[in-house]
Amino acid sequence: MTTANPVLKTSAASAKRRFDWVPYLFILPHLMFFAVFAGFPFFLGLVISLFEYDFLRPEATRFVGALNYTNLFTSTSVEFPVFWNALGNTFEFVLISVPLLVVIPLGLALLLNINLAGKNVYRAIYFAPWVLSSAVVGLLGFWIFQSQGGLLNYYLKDLGWFTPRWLSSMPWAWYAILIVTVWWTSGFNMIIILAALQNIPATLYESASIDGANSWQRFVYITIPMLRPVLVFIVIITIIASFNLFAQPLFMTNGGGPAQSGGGGATEPIMIRIYNESFVRNRMGSGAAMSFVVAGIMMVISYFNFRIFRTRE
Amino acid sequence: MLFKRSLLALAALFMLGAALPVMGQTSLPESCGVVRLQYWNPFTGPDGPFMGEMVEAFNAANPNIQVTMTTQSEYYTQLSTAAASNSLPDIAIVHADQIATQVYRNILRPIDSIVAESGINGEDFPEAVWNAGEVDGMRYAVPLDIHPMTMFVNMDLLASVGAEAAPKTGEEFAAVAAALTGDGNNGFMITAGFPIRQIFEMLMYQFGGTSFNEDGTEATWNSEAGVQAAQWLLDAQAAYSEPNLEVDAELNSFKGGTVGMIWNGIWQTTNVTGEGVFFTGIATAVPQIGPSPAVWAGSHQLALPVRADEDPCRDTAAGIFIGYLLDNSVTWSRAGQLPASSVVRASEEFAEVQPQFDIAMGSADYVFFPPSVPGITDAYGPLDEAIGALMSGNATDIQAELNNAAERANSILEQNRATYGTN
Repeated sequence: MTTANPVLKTSAASAKRRFDWVPYLFILPHLMFFAVFAGFPFFLGLVISLFEYDFLRPEATRFVGALNYTNLFTSTSVEFPVFWNALGNTFEFVLISVPLLVVIPLGLALLLNINLAGKNVYRAIYFAPWVLSSAVVGLLGFWIFQSQGGLLNYYLKDLGWFTPRWLSSMPWAWYAILIVTVWWTSGFNMIIILAALQNIPATLYESASIDGANSWQRFVYITIPMLRPVLVFIVIITIIASFNLFAQPLFMTNGGGPAQSGGGGATEPIMIRIYNESFVRNRMGSGAAMSFVVAGIMMVISYFNFRIFRTRE
Repeated sequence: MLFKRSLLALAALFMLGAALPVMGQTSLPESCGVVRLQYWNPFTGPDGPFMGEMVEAFNAANPNIQVTMTTQSEYYTQLSTAAASNSLPDIAIVHADQIATQVYRNILRPIDSIVAESGINGEDFPEAVWNAGEVDGMRYAVPLDIHPMTMFVNMDLLASVGAEAAPKTGEEFAAVAAALTGDGNNGFMITAGFPIRQIFEMLMYQFGGTSFNEDGTEATWNSEAGVQAAQWLLDAQAAYSEPNLEVDAELNSFKGGTVGMIWNGIWQTTNVTGEGVFFTGIATAVPQIGPSPAVWAGSHQLALPVRADEDPCRDTAAGIFIGYLLDNSVTWSRAGQLPASSVVRASEEFAEVQPQFDIAMGSADYVFFPPSVPGITDAYGPLDEAIGALMSGNATDIQAELNNAAERANSILEQNRATYGTN
């Protein structure tokens, strides 16, 4: 079999000189799709962000250099207040939602990992919301939280409890969006953690028990370290998913959410702002620049994520 | 009231003989053969079937012109993508405030000659709605309908405080609303979301203000009239409504039967009157609060998109079709719209379409539209936010909010002038 592998066959020196096609052939199918559907649009987006651009008005397309970017950092520009408001909102959502979306699924996974009658039914119940589309979840959220005859306030009122204006006042609008998001996506994270839990060898727990470790010690010294790679993955994809918040505010708080002084809605996420800039105001260059600033921020966050988790090992 | 209506009907009858068959006079030359036309509209709601009915009737009456109707959601995105792939339809519905933007984005083409050929006359329409179809001195669209801000009234609740008719003036309105408020009921309900900005604009026009200067280069809502309008809204909210309500909250409450009056678009008629509610809900013209009559409205207009394969046969056929839709807009009015044509609104047939006829009497001649400049709807964004912030209690200084919104709208308008090259 080794003869089929040219890398092993040749010496280290000649391997450097001779270009080896085989590994590239293996990734070629993916590379083709990546190049067409991710690489090329990424490059084109970068180009568009340097232009004033509207695909229906080729006559008006003109090169503006970094203007679309500098606008985002100039406090007197049209884009400045709305862009940073939306980005701030999104950060706030990420900061609050990500810990919840890691801790709650972890707890659920631990509970469902014990031998429990009908645990598959519970797993299915917790996972079920994930199969709904974002539009369905957003509309359900609206009809549960809306103030005039919405399900939640209807019962809260019957109980004589406080009935906040969930969708039109702060911070309640965020709580409503957060509750819906946790309900919707926890199941997905739970399933991944559950799979990882089942991969931890039972012998580790057995020997720890023999050494006299209690259940808390077994959790902290065996479960968490064994889950670390999966938790890194969960944290990163959850940060990205929370950054991409779009449909919940779109349906529940009508895009912007409670209006506030000075520009932008209180629950307007950055993705809705980018969409509006690009396809409602038809300023696609400026929208592309916003996208790249956000993409840059996400890359920096992912980098630190990997570093923090790596240094612990 | 009865006397007034019969007088109007009489006037309509008189005008009918003289004025009705003005449009749709031309016919398609034989050499054209059978012309097939594509017609797009955004009527995804219960209004769609009414339009479908009109198209079918037209096809039956004109065997040599066959129109295929397509209803699209995400309408302007669809038009944009169709324009990019050069597959725009022959005829399209466009909202009045979108016309200039779609013209500048190379989606619509001028139709002056087609309009002239099909005998459509600007004098048959209220000036504001006719002017909305004109951009830079050229005509791009003709108005099909007007959809005004409308008042919806729970007549059972009104009767319980001894009011027999919907209020028509500010004083009547205040008296009824105050009498109804209390005991778990609200006399009048307004939200902090859509359509609160449209209501604000309407009141501001009634107090003598405007949203923009005439050429659409500057926001003018931070005027005395603007402050007055916002103050009226805040006072009404405090006196009759509940504070800080989200979009549609007033509709849901109204349907619950605890609200006397709400203001929303005429398109809500089937939702909150008649079969839609368990009480006697009616739709009527909004009362006049300020010194001069003014009613916020939108308008669906008929336009011809840009096509690579323009040809005179299709253009003539499109003109005939548009003329037919305007002539027969009484059918369309049953979907909950007011015919834009004053001639049709004065017809005996329309007088029987209720409540549209009554609403038309109180609003059609007082509607206003934003100036026809590209991207004008962008400039409403800051005003939406300012009025929303005031109504939700996130801001309290009316003048400061309106000033700030005007300032931001002015930079948006300036940016649009640069973008669209209209400096």
